[in-house]
Amino acid sequence: MLSAIVKPLIAALLLAGPAAAHGAFVDMGTTEAVAIQARYDTGALMAGAQVSVFAPDNPAQPWLTGMTDADGRFVFVPDDRAGQWAVQVRQAGHGAMGYVTVGADGAAITVTASRTGLSWAQRLLMAASVVWGCIGTALYFRRLRPAEPA
Amino acid sequence: MSLPSACLYTLAAALTIGTAAAAEGSLHLFANGEALAREGFVAPELTRDGWELRFDHVFVTLAGVSALQTDPPYDAHAGGKPRATDTVVFDAIDQMTIDLTDTDAQGRVMLATAPAPAGHYNAVVWSVVPAQSGDWAGQSMVLVGTATRDGASVDFTLTSDATHDYTCGEYVGDARKGFVAAGSDAALELTFHLDHLFGRLDKEDADPMNIHALGFDAFAAGGTHQITLTGLHIGHVGEGHCAVSHR
Repeated sequence: MLSAIVKPLIAALLLAGPAAAHGAFVDMGTTEAVAIQARYDTGALMAGAQVSVFAPDNPAQPWLTGMTDADGRFVFVPDDRAGQWAVQVRQAGHGAMGYVTVGADGAAITVTASRTGLSWAQRLLMAASVVWGCIGTALYFRRLRPAEPA
Repeated sequence: MSLPSACLYTLAAALTIGTAAAAEGSLHLFANGEALAREGFVAPELTRDGWELRFDHVFVTLAGVSALQTDPPYDAHAGGKPRATDTVVFDAIDQMTIDLTDTDAQGRVMLATAPAPAGHYNAVVWSVVPAQSGDWAGQSMVLVGTATRDGASVDFTLTSDATHDYTCGEYVGDARKGFVAAGSDAALELTFHLDHLFGRLDKEDADPMNIHALGFDAFAAGGTHQITLTGLHIGHVGEGHCAVSHR
């Protein structure tokens, strides 16, 4: 008897998840990011190279890891920790470090050094200004309403 | 705030700064010739001209070794002089001849340990110099071994009397190195890439390393040869680059 009550209840709870939603929202905004492009000293792009990003307060442990794309590019957004962020790129026995400094206000990004690679990198780090607008505030979110379901 | 209080705060701050400045740990320095020194150039990693090399000894004489904290981080690609905020001089490595085939279990040669103020040692300066004494006095690098190709083997001894001065940026490898904390220790490594000397068959011909490397064909008759290392970048910090000058 108890089972006859509990089972439908559990099923109802399970169905009340994402499938029960009536729409979706996308939060959009602008922010500052750091973009790198890794090359060998031949000029060849370091596609698919291993990337490790180190935060200022824990420089020995990667804060983020990833891989460069087919153009040797990798983009990341530092959090609000001020100080020197380090980026390491390695591939097939070649590697290099690059550094960017994030200001105390979390907004200012300056490239402090780059290019220490064995055989890459005409330029390792470029500050990026993946910043579109951001007028007034660092983060401005705009909520988009989904279209009404038919 | 009263004047006496201000003085006390100032004194306390000064003492705090003094304590922080005195915070010290230890820095261990190693040399590493990697697998190419220990195990040789073995297929597929033959020399650029197809020789298998096995080394009995790879002697290197070191001098003038210092670890630096630099700000900004040293850009070895750009070269120039690093801007050091702290420098640890390894006085013990004054004319030290090591053998890169004679290593510990991790494949490294222990060079020295020195007390070091806390911080990140992100640059290393060192020189390869002619030995002042010993069996190979006058030579800065000596490679002794056997080369094999097409079933024929020759014994060789390659010597260099050049002085190379290296200024390197941060160590690059599986883990970042050189972080000294108060009361603890850290390690740094001088890394020798012998493939810059002989090239690698498993790399493209157009690879700059292969373009500049000596290969082994010139020494195919065996025996002792003096080699010229000018323009070759043998010294690294892990996979990290060094600016090098030859004298």
